[in-house]
Order: sequence, then structure tokens, then C-alpha cells
Amino acid sequence: MNRWATWLWLVFLFSIPLWMTNQYYLHILIIAGIFIIAAMSLNLLLGYTGQLSLGHVAFFGIGGYTSALVSLGFDLELTDRYSFVFPAQPVWIAFLAGIVVAGFFGWLIGKISFKVRGAYFVIVTISFAEVVRLVALNWIDLTEGPMALNNIPPFTLGVPGLWELTFLRKIPNYYLVLVTCILSYVVIARLVGSRLGRAMIALRENEPLATSVGVDVTRLLVLAAVVSAAIAGAAGGLYTHYIRIIDPDVFMFIYTVTMVIMVVTGGKGTLAGPIVGGLIFGILPEVLREVASPEMQWVIYGLLMIVIVYFLPDGIVPALSSWWKGRSGGGGAGAAAPGPGAPPKIGEERA
Amino acid sequence: MDQFLQHLLNATMLGGTYALLGIGLTLIFGIMRVVNFTHGELYTFGAYMVFFFTMTLSANFFLALVFAMVLGIALGAAIEFVLLRRLRGASIDTTMLVMIGAWIAMQNAEQLAWTGVAKSVNHPFPVDPLVLGPVSVSWIRIFVFCVAVLLIVGTHLLIHRTRLGKAMRSTFQDRETAALMGVNIDAIHTATFALGSGLAAAAGALLGPVFVLVPGMGDMAALKSFAIVILGGLGSFMGATLGGFLLALVEELGAGYISSGYRDGMGFLIIIVVLIFKPTGLFARKERIG
Amino acid sequence: MSANPSNRQVVLEIDRLAISFGGLVALASVSFDVHEGEIASLIGPNGAGKTTAFNAITGFLTASGDSIRYRGKTLNGLRPNQIADLGVVRTFQKTSVFAADTVTDNVMIGLHRHAGARLWEILLARPRVRDEEIRLRAQAGEILDMMGLSAHAEELGGALPYGEQRLLEVAIALAAKPSLLLLDEPVSGMNPSETASFMAMLGRIRASGITILLVEHDMRMVMGVSDRVIVLNQGAIIAEGTPEEIQRNPEVIRAYLGHGAGKRGADKREAGRA
Repeated sequence: MNRWATWLWLVFLFSIPLWMTNQYYLHILIIAGIFIIAAMSLNLLLGYTGQLSLGHVAFFGIGGYTSALVSLGFDLELTDRYSFVFPAQPVWIAFLAGIVVAGFFGWLIGKISFKVRGAYFVIVTISFAEVVRLVALNWIDLTEGPMALNNIPPFTLGVPGLWELTFLRKIPNYYLVLVTCILSYVVIARLVGSRLGRAMIALRENEPLATSVGVDVTRLLVLAAVVSAAIAGAAGGLYTHYIRIIDPDVFMFIYTVTMVIMVVTGGKGTLAGPIVGGLIFGILPEVLREVASPEMQWVIYGLLMIVIVYFLPDGIVPALSSWWKGRSGGGGAGAAAPGPGAPPKIGEERA
Repeated sequence: MDQFLQHLLNATMLGGTYALLGIGLTLIFGIMRVVNFTHGELYTFGAYMVFFFTMTLSANFFLALVFAMVLGIALGAAIEFVLLRRLRGASIDTTMLVMIGAWIAMQNAEQLAWTGVAKSVNHPFPVDPLVLGPVSVSWIRIFVFCVAVLLIVGTHLLIHRTRLGKAMRSTFQDRETAALMGVNIDAIHTATFALGSGLAAAAGALLGPVFVLVPGMGDMAALKSFAIVILGGLGSFMGATLGGFLLALVEELGAGYISSGYRDGMGFLIIIVVLIFKPTGLFARKERIG
Repeated sequence: MSANPSNRQVVLEIDRLAISFGGLVALASVSFDVHEGEIASLIGPNGAGKTTAFNAITGFLTASGDSIRYRGKTLNGLRPNQIADLGVVRTFQKTSVFAADTVTDNVMIGLHRHAGARLWEILLARPRVRDEEIRLRAQAGEILDMMGLSAHAEELGGALPYGEQRLLEVAIALAAKPSLLLLDEPVSGMNPSETASFMAMLGRIRASGITILLVEHDMRMVMGVSDRVIVLNQGAIIAEGTPEEIQRNPEVIRAYLGHGAGKRGADKREAGRA
């Protein structure tokens, strides 16, 4: 997309709350936005680095819970007489804490993934997410288990005592999510377009070749995992301070699956893919809400995923972009015009 | 001590069906290298089929079990043929994603068909348990255990004494050579997936009367299957069998002595621990270095 | 230990390297040296253990002990990227490029080791990052020029014709700035004129100071380009010396006659067809 289109698009996005008065639609966009951030982060690990991490919701939830707990404050009864008391912190600090803690778990997963590859890695990541869910469910002392953590404070902006803006209403949260979304996009885009991003893609495409020219697989996997987890943690933090309640259901495998569907149908390994996928699967449920029950919707999504994997294996965005290129007359990579005469001979171009 | 014996007995009774799940998946995972996300759904399918036959059609309980398993085999073959055949050369991501799609579609279809209300299956065995000194066990569980053992033995015979089994084993060891020797890899894949699915369905059919039926029951079954396969080593029949009993034991002891809330988590912990410390599993076969 | 006509320094020492898989012996206590600036070739019938040796040297197989030393440093147990960091880079027998990336990007991945932009610099889009990218792209361009691939710079690696793909592999390896380059059957599948160009290029690579260890079946190329030839058969070295010495060696002739005189005959026929 050229710069004009990007700016237009951004202006449009920023303008939405000004004319969209329906608060419910705004809410949909906010939730979709949060999912898009999570999907973009998954795309970094799944799409670019080619690691089948199916426990991604764990990072989202860990970010959310950490942020909630830090902003609420908590106490843990360690022994009969001693309790560890953690006082409540301002929400921004909690949010950052969520990102850092999620990033730490990303580091762990990155380290493990080097030892355990392929299908086994998938299983480890799923198990990891399930263990985290069970911990959240059962460690009632810390997380309130199924009773959920509620009354989570919303974001606030400003100088305490002088002026404060509390992000209670939809509009400020919309902008917060939008800005975070843009920031995440920029971070990922810069990373992916750099030598590190090239190395990640090389890892995915042809690992033996990549490692034979010096690409350090472990470090790269860990890097991708940490950045990916941190961004997912940020999404979790946004979620928790917007919805202001969080329970262990946030760790359900179905949410990882949702993110995977968004990334895969949108186009894994592309920057726009998760956005397109996120919009479709963030908004589709609402569109279908009247016509189909949740179960029916999921049946449709499952079938849709199979169909897309079969017919558009790279996802919607790459399919659209090659269709677009085809229409514009064969420009772009891969269309080096062959000379009319003999094919180029090796060695004819002297050094 | 009595409590321990009771746990041991419970674990043994349960372990048989866990072994079925594990064997089914290790065959599929081992021979086809597919991360079979639908394994749990076949388990659910088997259970609901027994429910359907006994409760809705009022058929004979034992007949229902047989039907459930046969239908499970058929469904497995259909899934392989329709979905997996054309993905033969595809990357593991693609196959996995298709399997996830199928899993979601199946589970929600089951939800639509049977609703989320828990159902139970009646069985013809006496409800009062058999008391053997300090321990007791219900008749249905004894039956389930016996059938499970029969199926395990039957599968073992199939794999080691029939031509089909021989073809499956050679495909597992060295696919290319097997193909060169005339083994029809396509047919073996279908047969393997069908067999594995049939075993999962059997496990579900057997455990249906023991526990209640909810559409989500397959998820735990699937994850435990993976735990068993990893514990026992990919492709190892013996490993899957022993792994099944071992998992049941760890669950029983964990639930009994630590906390019942974490019972289902035992499987996951096993997965993580084994993969970190001994990734090839306890009884792994030697893989040929290509 | 090995013939060393020009008294050059030994850079790669293989000292009683032995590798078995289960009961199968792939390499049985093999020892040889490679000298600075020379082109050495490892030849032998199929299954003799040549690629196994390559895999061991470059870390794709782990050999125990300290049987592989490069400039005095033991390579056993190191990972491939660590070995690449020491200057030892290989190509693969089966065509190996990054199919979905452009040719230029392929080479730029090879330049990975020599780029220094840190994560935080990348995220903050410091100007240094962009400058480095421009520099890397220019370097990639030079390498492509040298290999004669400039015309294909923006094509996808996977879309190249076979011969160009093999050249691209070498380009990627060269981008990593090796001091020892291991080429695994680089001209297999190339026609005689492509092979001749490749031989000239090998000379240029060697002239730039890089030591080359080659595994090849194409005898014309091996004899035409090598300073020394090492012959493997069934996991053991049966001969070592200059191309002339090897061609006259009765053991070698027997090994090849025994395992496929047809192959040498076929080579001769191919040469006739050129």
C-alpha cells in the first residue's frame, strides 16, 4: 500500500468514533482490535518464523491476569502467619508488568521450542496453555479461580490531583486500542523488514541452509517468541482493563484457535493478513448472530478454515495481491522479461 | 494402604481405555505423522453413538458398542479419504490446520445434534459394586476393562500377525522402501486412520456408560492421548499401552493425594516433563537415521 | 601425512573421524588434511561416505571426540551456525535455496553474519539500520555480479532454472564470507558448458583467498580443478594425491570399476556429446 492510501486509511480509522454513534458497534471494533493485536503477534511466531505455537492464548491471558493483579494488588498467604502483600499499582505500570511477564513466558517457550520441534512443539504449547488455565482455575488464593477478578481499574491518563481522564467509556478505549494496534504493527513491520526478519523467514523456509550460513536458530526463535508473547500480553492488558473482569475462561483453547483462524485465513507471513482475518472473524460473529447459533457459527468457521486452506493456502491477502498484480499486467517480482534470443548463459558475464 | 490399593484398582480399570486411545493415536501419529486433532472427537462420537443406539433406539447395549466402534472406523476412513488424501505432500502446518478446522466443525456439530446437556447411558450391569476385601469396583468397569484388554490384544495381533499389520509396520519404519516394495501407501494411511479412529470410538463407547456425555468430552481425551503417545514414545505399541496405564495411575494418585482439581492437568504435566527430559519417550523405537 | 607439494599450511585436519549409524559404518577412522588456499576434492563411489564427512565437518552430524579441527579449533559438537561463524560454510547436495525469497534476498540472508543492526536499533528505525541495509544490498549485488546472476536479481529463488539455482547456492555461501568453502556436488546436473564456467569461477574464488573442499562425481571437473584428490571407498580412504597420481592409482581404478565402470563410460560419452 502506498503512503497516501496508508494515511487515508489511518485518518478514516481515527475518525470512526466521531460518526459511529452506535456504542455497540464501537464495542465490536474494540474487541476486534484487541484480537487483531493478538493475531499479529501470533503471526510473527506462526507466520514469519514458522513455529506452530498453539498455546498463544496463554500469553494473552498471562498479560491480562498480571496486569489485573498488579493493578488490584493482591496478597498471598505463604505460611500460616506470613502473607506476601503486593500493593495496587497504577494501571500503566500494571500494563507494562503484563507485557514483561508475558514476554518472560515467551522466552521460556522459545527456549523449549529449540529442544522440541515440529509436531511435538505444537503439543507442548497446547499443554502449556492448558496448564496455565488449570493454575488460574485452581490457585484461588491468587486468581480467585472461577469467581474471576473483577472491578479491575480502567486506564487513566493524566496527572493525579490535577487532571485525569479515566478510560471508562468506549471512545477513549477505542483510541487506546487503535494506537496500540498501530504501534504493534510498526514494531512487527520493522522487525520483519530487517535482517532479523529475513533470518526468521529463512529459518522457516529452509532451516539447514539458514544455519549453514550462520543463523543462530535458538536466539532467533527466542527473540520471535519474546516479542510475540509481549505483544500478546499487551493485548491481554488492554482487554482486562476494558472489560474490567477476567476469569480462567480467557485461557480456553478455542481463543487460540480463533487467533489461528484469523492469521491463517488472512494470510500468514504477511503484515496485512492478521488484520484482514481479525476484521473478518471479529465482525462475522456479529453479522451471523441473528441467523445462526454460536455452535452453527463455529461449524461454519471450521469448514471455512478447511476450504481456505485448500483453495487459498496462503490466505486471503496473498491471493488478493497476486490477483491484483495479474490484473495490472504482470508487474512485480517474478516477472523478469526473458530476452528474445538465447537464454542467458552462465559465465558470460565476466566479473 | 487400602486407599492406595483402591487407587491402583481404579487406575487399572481406567488405564485399559486410556491405552486404547493411546494406541490409536500412536498408530496415526507414528505412521502418518499427522497431528490428529479429531482423535478426541472420535471418542465423543463413539460415546454419543452408544447413547443414540441404547437410549434413542433402545437397542441392545452390547450391539450398540459394536455399532459405535464400526461407525468410528467408517468415520475415520471417511475423514482420511476426504480431507487428508490430497494433503499428502503438504507441510505439517497445513495438515494441522485442516485437522483443527475439522475438529471445530465436528465438536460443534455434535453440540448442535445433542445439545450441551449432559447425558448418561444406561447399562445392563448391576449398580452395586463388587467388593473384594478392602477395595471395591463396579461391574461396568470390570466389563470395560475386559473389553479394552480384548481390543488391545486384538490390535496387537492385527499389527503383528496380519499382512496389513506388516505393511503398516514397514510404512512406519521406512516409507520409501515400503512403497518401493509394493505397499499401497494410500490404502495403509486410510486403514491406519480408520483403525486409530475406531479405537478412539471404542474408548468413548466404553467410557460413555461410566461417565456422563458432554460434547466437549473429547478435548480431554485428545490431550490425554497425546500425553500417552509422548510418554510411551512415538509409534510404540507397547509404549502406548503402558503409557495409558501409567497416565491413569498418575491421575488417580494425583487426584487422590494432591488435589482433584489438577487431575486432568496431570496429563499435560507429563507431556511437558517428558518432552523436556526425554523427548523420545520411555519406550521409543529406534528411528532410522535418514 | 598427506602429499603437500607447495608446503602450504594445514587449515582443516580430519583426524581419525569415525561415524556409524546403528550397526552401519559410514566412515571408518578417516584422516586427511586440507591446506590453505588449495582446492581439494573428495571423490568416491556412491555411499562412500563423502556427504557424511561433510555433515560431520559442518555440524549437521555430531562426531564425538576431537577428530575435526579447523585452524586448531575443534569443530566436534559445535552447531552449524557456530561453525559458520568460524568461517566454514557448505552447500548442499540437493538444491537448497530460499525458494520464496528473491535472489537478492537469498544472498542477503547469507550476509546475515556480517550485519550488525541490533534489535532496539531496528525497532526504533535508527538511520544506521537503513544505511546498513543499503550497504548489504550493494554487497549482495556485487556477489551476484561475480556469479553472473545479476539479471535474475529480483526473481524468486525457486523460479530460477536449475543451473542458476546451483550458482545461487554458491552465492549464498560466499556471502557468508567463508575462509573454507565446502561444495557438495556443485555441478551435478549441469551441462558441460555450465561446468566449464563453474570451473573458471572456482579458480576465481580460490584466487580470492578461499580454501575449497569439493565433493564431486564429475571426473573432468575434479581432475581439471583440484590441487589434491582424496578417494573414499566404503568409508575409508584408499588413495590421496595429485589428480595425475590418482588417475594412475590401481586401487582407485578398481574401486570405480567395481562400483560402476559404466559411470566412467557414461562420463566419457557425455564429454563426447558436448
